[in-house]
This record gives sequence, C-alpha cells and structure tokens, in this order.
Amino acid sequence: MPLETIVHHKTQRLEILNPEGFADPALEPRVPKDIFLEIYRKMVELRAFDERAIKLQRQGRLGTYPSVFGQEASQFIPAFCLKPSDWMIPTYRGSGAYYARGMKFRHSLLIWAGDDRGTVFPEGNRDMTFSITVGGHLTLAAGLAWAAKLEKKNAVVLAYLGDGASSKGDLHEALTFAGMMSLPVIFLIENNQWAISVSRQRQCAAETLAQKAHGYGVFGLQVDGNDALAIFSAMEEAIRRGREGRGASILELETYRMAHHTTADDSSRYRPKNDLDYWAKRDPLLRLKRYLESLKLLDEAQNQEFLKNAEALVDEEIKAYEAFAEPNPLDMFANNYAEAPRALIEQRAELKALLERKMRLGEIVEVPPLEGRFP
Amino acid sequence: MTTTAVKSRELNLVGAVNEALRQEMEKDERVIVLGEDVGKNGGVFRATEGLFERFGQERVVDTPLAELGIIGSAMGLAIAGFRPVCEIQFDGFTPSIFDSMVSHLGRMRNRTRGRYSLPLVIRSPHGGLIHAPEHHSESPEAYFCHTPGIKVVCPSTPEDAKGLLIAAIRDPDPVVFFEPKALYRAARGPVSDQSYTIEIGKARVRREGTDLTMISWGAMVGTCLKAAERLAQNGTSVEVLDLRTLTPLDLESVLKSVSKTGRALIAHEAPNSGSWAAEISALIAERALTHLKAPVKRVGGWDIRMPLFRLERYYIPDIDRLLMASEEVLSF
Repeated sequence: MPLETIVHHKTQRLEILNPEGFADPALEPRVPKDIFLEIYRKMVELRAFDERAIKLQRQGRLGTYPSVFGQEASQFIPAFCLKPSDWMIPTYRGSGAYYARGMKFRHSLLIWAGDDRGTVFPEGNRDMTFSITVGGHLTLAAGLAWAAKLEKKNAVVLAYLGDGASSKGDLHEALTFAGMMSLPVIFLIENNQWAISVSRQRQCAAETLAQKAHGYGVFGLQVDGNDALAIFSAMEEAIRRGREGRGASILELETYRMAHHTTADDSSRYRPKNDLDYWAKRDPLLRLKRYLESLKLLDEAQNQEFLKNAEALVDEEIKAYEAFAEPNPLDMFANNYAEAPRALIEQRAELKALLERKMRLGEIVEVPPLEGRFP
Repeated sequence: MTTTAVKSRELNLVGAVNEALRQEMEKDERVIVLGEDVGKNGGVFRATEGLFERFGQERVVDTPLAELGIIGSAMGLAIAGFRPVCEIQFDGFTPSIFDSMVSHLGRMRNRTRGRYSLPLVIRSPHGGLIHAPEHHSESPEAYFCHTPGIKVVCPSTPEDAKGLLIAAIRDPDPVVFFEPKALYRAARGPVSDQSYTIEIGKARVRREGTDLTMISWGAMVGTCLKAAERLAQNGTSVEVLDLRTLTPLDLESVLKSVSKTGRALIAHEAPNSGSWAAEISALIAERALTHLKAPVKRVGGWDIRMPLFRLERYYIPDIDRLLMASEEVLSF
C-alpha cells in the first residue's frame, strides 16, 4: 500500500509593510490609521528610553540592562493590543511590553538598578513580573488562561518568550495544556535571532518556530516582527481566537537584537557585523514612519516634536528614578509570607541589630524609612 | 629525555578553571565541554575562552538554551564513555536540571547495580556580590548535597580550582563544581602550569588558631579570613577551615579543628535553614559535643529569596555579621 499523506500542514508568514513603508492594501488593518501614529510616538519614546538606559549603565548609574533596540515593534505592539483585563507576562527584555501597559520608565530603571521597588504595575492591569530564568512562566500562562476560560469574561493571556526560551521543555508542556484544553493564550515568540551568542539556526532544526504550533493543535503564524501593521493584525487575529473560545496561538515575530545581549555582553565576539546593516534597513520605526508619511499623518516637524518630547519625558523619568533614596535593608523581609513565621521575625531583628552596630561604627550614616509591609 | 621545569605563575580563579579544562581536553579526547555560550563566546565569564578555537565545535559545544537538555544529554554521553563537562550558566539556572539530577544522575550507578556510571561534571558559577540581576546570585549547594550519589565541590583559590576541577573530570562519579563568581577575577594566586589534581573530599586549614573554628567554603572563606584578622587584633585566635569539598565532607578535619578550639562558627551565603551548615552543625553536635565550650553557630543568608542587588550586601554575611556571631560564641 503506498504511503498516504494523512495531515497537511502549512505555515504562513504575514508581512504588510515593505521596507519602504508601503502597505499591501489587501492586508492593511481596517482600523482608524491614527492608532499607528500613537504607536509610532510611543515607540519613539521607547527608543529614547533604551538609548539613555544604556548610557546610564555606561556611566555607572544603572546595573546590567538588556536593550530592546530594534525590537520596539515586537515589544510594544502586542501588549498595546490587550485590554487591562487581559493578562500580560513579559520576558526580562520587556521594557517595551511594560511601557505599553503603562509602567513608568522610572520603575523599569529601578528594577535594573537592583531595586525591588521597581516592580510596580499600574492599577487595574493584570500584569505579571518577569523572570530572568527563561520559560518558567509559560505553563503559568496556561494556568492563567485556564482561569480566564473558567471566568467566562473573554480575557486572554499574552506570554512573551524568546527564540532561546523556545528550546526549553517548558514550552512543550505549556503548549500541550493550552492545545488540549483550548486555552485563550498567545505564546508570542520574539525571535530576535540570538540567544546571547547562539544563533536561531543553532537553537532548533525546524525552518520556523511558528510551525511548532502544528504539533500541539494550536494556531501558528510567522510575522515580520519589524512590521507594525503585521504585528497589529496578527495580534488582533490571535486575540479574536482567544476571546471566541478557539484556543491558543503561537506568533513568531521575526526581528533582530540590534544591541548586545545586555550591557555585560560583547556581541562582536560571535556575530557578523553585516547582519546589523541588513536589519537596520528594516528598522521598525523607520518603516512605520514612512508609512505614516505616505498617509500624510506625519511630517518632519511633527517627528522632531515627538523626538524632543520623548527626550523630555525620559529626562523626567531618570530624574524621578534617581530621586529614590536607598532602600531600607529591613524591607527585604516584607511580603515573604502573609503571616511572618518566627524565623523571619528573629532574623529581621538580627538584621536590625546589625544595622545599629554599623551606625555605631559609622559604617552607615542613616537607615532609610521602611516602605514594605511586615509581616 | 628532557624534563619540563614546573613553573608557577599568578592566575585568577577563572584563568585556573580555563587551564584545567584545556589541559584535561589535551590529555583525554573523551572530554567534551557543553553548555550555553561556551563555544564562540568563550562563556559569559570567559571560563571556556579559547577552547572552541583550540578543540573545535565537536568538543566545545554551544547547546540550545535548555539546561535539562544539557544535563540529560551529558548523562547519555557519559554512559557511552565520554567525559562531559557541562556548564550551567548561572547558579539560578540549576533548578531546571533537578528532575535529571534527583531522579537519574545521583542514582544511576546504584539502580543499574554498578553497570553504568556517570563520570560527568556540572560546572556552575556560585554566590552573589557582583551586582547581577535576579537568579544570578544564588547558593543552591544544599539541594545538591542533599542528593545521594553526587559529589559537590566549591573551591576558593585558583590553585584549588584547577586541581579540584581536574580531579572532578577524572572522578568516576558525577561532580557538581561550584565556582564562586565574586572570586573569578578577584582571587589571584600561584598556580602550577602542570596538570595536577587535588583530592576531592579534603578540607584545608587556611589559618591556624586555637579559640574558635570558622568553617566555610567559596567566597565566604575570604570574609572569614578578614574577620579572623580583626579578631586577632583583640587577641582572639581563629582557625579558618576551607572545606573545598562539601560532599563527601571531610568530617575528620572538621572534628579535629573543633575539638581543638571548642568553638565552631559555620559561615555561608545560602538561606540558613536547611543549609549545608545545618548538616555540619548536627555532625559536630553528634560527634564532638563533649569538646564544645559554646553552642555551634551558623551564619548564613536570611530565609528569604536573595533580594535584588541593592540589598545583597545585607543578605550575604559580611565581616560585621561574622564578628557579631563570634562575640556571641566567645561569650560562653
């Protein structure tokens, strides 16, 4: 008996804007176009923030920082498409996702300054903290989606991950649950081609990461991750599926990490420089700007105004960030349990005695006020 | 026949690790280095720098980002006769390998009635105080020490790092090798340019004393030595014991020192409850109680997660905390 093909799979790629900023009229999202002007303005602010964060780190005013340069569209737009009642879980390279949800840059800076007070989500949102260990949030995202399904309020869950994290076993288990239970969760893979020094090709033998969807019975799509319109459209589709009870999605957003992995990395050791030239021509801001100019929604004067305002905004945020006093060491004991166990009460008292000793010895001048709740 | 003169030069700890890997790879072609970014990039701390160029991509392997995959495939390589040396990029990434470690790694020899063994090494940076982000400053040694069938090593000098790593690679059983990241560049010392081993399971007296024994490992040994110096100014004589190997524990050296001084303080970076210090404390109480002049004191991290780095120096015991604890122990 001849071999029989029992399942046909196809993996599609969505691209709407070409590098010159010309949109395919058949695929252009049918929404008021000024929404893209708003997205562009925010992406300009995000880039201004990112550039300054790197400078702050170089000046010793910030800890290790993971840049989102080149990924402004794949960072900002997916979270921008959500409602506050939807769940959002970013990765550590998540300044843009948080910004889309209304987190202030001052708080992003605090986190990368090693200060737990940076974990502040805007009220009313359902946002999650990110993790530096990758992939561990994916099964958790399936659980949030399970809860959303039980709540019957049509909420969806957006979980970001990178091409590196797509190799973790966690994604397999998360997709197994999400597919089997038809959960309203979007696994958004920001494929920026590099997991520190390991290229996308060395991460997985499959031609695309989007095609992983076929193995789990979920929807999969590869998207040009530097194309604001394509990301917007793909997110609309994935969200619609989630809200209508049609289950989970994998969106693979193909983009490029234009900066080093973090400020602690030197990418010249392992990747070719001409990659950068190729991707610079596909810059997500430049493409969206050309599109908006073609619609006469943006001109150079307005663009300059955006840039100037972005710098002013970032200045203000840096000022606010640097105005935070040192945290009180005793605050690390806050929020560990709902009720403080005896061991923590004792250990907190021990740290207090240590601080008093240091003040007596003149090693520290004063202890800042307490902010956290204990127990 | 010519003889090579043995030369000793100054190396830092990461340089000593690098040299150990290179010399063992030259000596034994079964040795394979694998992990995230260990190849072209030479490791995020440069521990594997130059190995990719020297030994090629079949022996120095940039793996996909999957810690369980690294350890699991290393177990297969080891059973089939290779000597894999895995790098788990940060201590905070080791929880991903727990399934393999607990369910397979530690028990393979026993559950196959000695038929298969796992001569592999898991290297990982250890501890805090380098201002790193979350999950980059952990001290997870107790989980590993608690697991039967594996050995756990944590050196504090370049000389020990090289000799112990070579011994770990040659060891017939799995060895978890923690490298104190605060010492990677800060610890410098003489290291022989020849290949040599330091026996796994032997502690070393780093400072002799008669009034109090400080027992420690990794970067905390340096803090103990500084505290001992301060206490000496007041006439207190402190012995500092660097365990170097956590399992199998050199109990003989611990008991010998504590029996001499009558006082024991165990210092480390991990959350104190259920820590490896707790096991050492219990052993001292069981075996040397009659020699003790004071209760055994453990000084560790607090029983909370490692805070982000602005507060890490208040989490990891510093000289002041060791002095406070010493005063308490000496008051008996």
